[in-house]
Amino acid sequence: MINLCREAVEAARRKGASYADARVVFQRTQYIGAEDRHITGVSDTETSGIGVRVIAGGAWGFAASSSLKRADVARAAARAVEVARASALARAPQGIRWAKEDRHEDAFHTPHIKDPFKVPIDEKVGLLLRANGEAMRVRGVKKCHSWLYFHRERRYLANSEGTAVTSDAVVSTGQLSATAVDRATAKTRSIEAYPMCTGYEHIDATPFVAEARRVGEEAVAKLKGKTCPTGRKDLILHPSHLALTMHESIGHATELDRVLGMEESMAGSSFATIDKLGKLKYGSKLMNIVCDNTMPFGLATRGYDDDGVKGQRWHVIRDGILVDYQSSREVCHAIGAKRSRGSCRADSWGSIPIIRQSNIGLEPGREPLSLDELIADTKDGIYIEGMGSYSIDQKRLNFQFGGDCFWEIRNGRKGAILKDVVYQAMTPEFYGSMDAICDARFWMPFGVGNCGKGDPMQVARMTHGSAPARFRKIRVGPGVK
Amino acid sequence: MNESQARAAVRRLLSFGRCDAMEAGVDAWSNGVTRLADNLITQNVVTESVSVWVECAYGRRHGLASTSDFSEEALRSVVRRAEAVARVSPPDPEYMPPVIPREAGKYLVVRDYSPRTAALGPMEKARELAAAIRMARARKLRLSGAYQNGWSLGAFGNSVGLATCHRSSSAEIHLTALGGDGSGWAQDKSFDCADINVGRVATEAAGIAERSRGAGDLPAGKYTVILSPAALAELLSFLIYDFDAKTADEGRSSLRGKLGKKVFGDNITIRTDPAFRECPGNPFSDGGLASRPVDWVRHGTVANFRYSRYWAKKKRKKPTSYPSNVIMEGGNETADGMVASMERGLLVTRFWYIRHVDPMVPSVTGMTRDGLFLVENGKVTRPVRQMRFNENLLDLFNRITALGRPVRTGEYMSMYLPPVKVRDFNFTSTTRF
Repeated sequence: MINLCREAVEAARRKGASYADARVVFQRTQYIGAEDRHITGVSDTETSGIGVRVIAGGAWGFAASSSLKRADVARAAARAVEVARASALARAPQGIRWAKEDRHEDAFHTPHIKDPFKVPIDEKVGLLLRANGEAMRVRGVKKCHSWLYFHRERRYLANSEGTAVTSDAVVSTGQLSATAVDRATAKTRSIEAYPMCTGYEHIDATPFVAEARRVGEEAVAKLKGKTCPTGRKDLILHPSHLALTMHESIGHATELDRVLGMEESMAGSSFATIDKLGKLKYGSKLMNIVCDNTMPFGLATRGYDDDGVKGQRWHVIRDGILVDYQSSREVCHAIGAKRSRGSCRADSWGSIPIIRQSNIGLEPGREPLSLDELIADTKDGIYIEGMGSYSIDQKRLNFQFGGDCFWEIRNGRKGAILKDVVYQAMTPEFYGSMDAICDARFWMPFGVGNCGKGDPMQVARMTHGSAPARFRKIRVGPGVK
Repeated sequence: MNESQARAAVRRLLSFGRCDAMEAGVDAWSNGVTRLADNLITQNVVTESVSVWVECAYGRRHGLASTSDFSEEALRSVVRRAEAVARVSPPDPEYMPPVIPREAGKYLVVRDYSPRTAALGPMEKARELAAAIRMARARKLRLSGAYQNGWSLGAFGNSVGLATCHRSSSAEIHLTALGGDGSGWAQDKSFDCADINVGRVATEAAGIAERSRGAGDLPAGKYTVILSPAALAELLSFLIYDFDAKTADEGRSSLRGKLGKKVFGDNITIRTDPAFRECPGNPFSDGGLASRPVDWVRHGTVANFRYSRYWAKKKRKKPTSYPSNVIMEGGNETADGMVASMERGLLVTRFWYIRHVDPMVPSVTGMTRDGLFLVENGKVTRPVRQMRFNENLLDLFNRITALGRPVRTGEYMSMYLPPVKVRDFNFTSTTRF
């Protein structure tokens, strides 16, 4: 397939492209869903095709086809050049500034033990039905949904600079959610095997059946829980929750294309503009945010991005100060960088690569601190696990988040489950209030599997890790009834 | 790919089946998006795709497989894979056998294909956008956005003789204008690009951007608001799926126990009509069943729920499709006329990032975006900084005091909605721009 990519690149060059790259991508997914005590569906889907990206006349063009016949591939390459000629009607006077990158020839594979596509379906069905059955045994649980999802992407990338790289990435994930219903309302609690680039061993290691009763009991407890008080509380956020908060308020805000206004009309821009680089106090001195596209099992770890840039590890926030961005070869020059950070990815053969979040997370605290010790040190707070409601303005400043489960903390003790907790804050003030992070023993990676960005919308995956952290005096309330 | 080729491919897939029952489909589409940022074309894509899917069943055991490989070998293989999945799946008590032709009903004639829209090329779009950029530059504004066009073809068939096919086209433009600290946004969409005036959309976005410069503070709180049709569409998309009967009957929807009851204001009528010219929907869905016009809300009363084939059988109802378009009755007043009759309140251009807070209420939160204006004594007096809201949607649709003239709108779903005036809209915080 790499030769087919090379043929597409050559075809585009013959039509006048000054740069060209071509990606052949094969994606396979398997989904198994269960509702209560029955299976609702099993699917096995495949898609494949080629995307050809070119610079011609100083402007971008992209064309893609699901057909891998040589004639259709040549047609897509020619079409990409035609599209670029149209783009040139409104191109930058200086054309596209394309950062240098070494020529690479390499192959990358997700490390995994059990290929999820080779695990028998009846084993997966049995797991889901046993987990649902356990949760349904809890009095008050009226509905249970669970699913497993596996994704494999084989990618072949060649460009006109001689780079030829391949990747073979496997993603495994699953979820069980129990819903308790009473006369007034319904509440749901979940347990997830958060998406990771690994095999079925990830599902084996997630205690869906063993934890199903607890999940059901906590759904019932949410139903009967005390409504969140209105006011300011100290928040202790578990990594399973903090992952999404960081994703929205740090990950997106430090994508350089957004910062430069290239996503203005859809996903928005960023308050962390380049004039603030090296100066913006993003948070407290404890705050160190690292991007790492070399992280084992990371969802954004694929060896090389779709610009052909090798995976890297770097800080975007160091000691609370904004020090870098996530970039691509097209835009890294805007901050004076000679090399891209390698954050440019497409979600399929049919999509153009754009800057996507790397595996990005919060470094653990340097002093020994356990979650129990952190709770014991908190007088009046709320402990939050899991992802829930989330909303943030288009410059990534004003946000409101919920969660999956909430516990009151009174005088150093984790108490009863609360319901309807949301918190609102402004990004720099929120991270400025962070005064404690648990140590490396408590650092955990969590994945986001459905990050939307781009126009047309693309859906990407990335991993966010952290240890539990505490945020002081954050505005909380029950939302609106 | 043309319709006869798509239908033939479906028949070919069905001929490979060895299972008890089978459905098959072909989806072909082409999509072109020319994208702007900062007065430049920054992305420009054309993607063409053909894919097939099959669902095979043995008794109540069923499985689905799909592929984008259109070779003879791949078509045979996709059927074998679906059969293999079905064989190892446990029986599904909610499985419904394929729809027989007389059960499907007569398909409505949905006219939503325009050959010129399907054929619109990147050069033609770039020329129109370049003219809009020249206008923006002359006004010292920066234009961003996207102009999309394309076509799609869906063919469906099953092992008991039902076969249908539909081709449609689409065009949509949305533009954001920036100037100083001001921003404005406008959109248009239709199945026919002849309905779309790029210059008008650009000029509307530019005007809002110019008027929104120098936004000042206004404390959060309850305000009467005028919501644009685009803003209303964002809210409505969080309510429309609550009309699912199974979810409501099982107590897991905000509309549980509310079928036939007065839930919304007298002035609220919401319906779906697949053949509605301004925002056509799909002529078939759910196993090939013909889509029918459905009133969801009639003068404030919940008139119908959506019934899947399984739930309809269980509850002895007729199956109803999910809404493929949403039409809300309005009045004759324009948004400007609504401003003129407003004593004090806020004019909202659009919303951004709305999410459920509690889907059982249903309560939602979100932000205003690209132009929020204070109205005093019938006039827009000044722009204000964007705000976050938290709202109860069932309650909100009882606080609509005026409805204007409907227009085409909607981000992901085709909608035809009026601007509306809502009292006591609940803003809970502000942001810094």
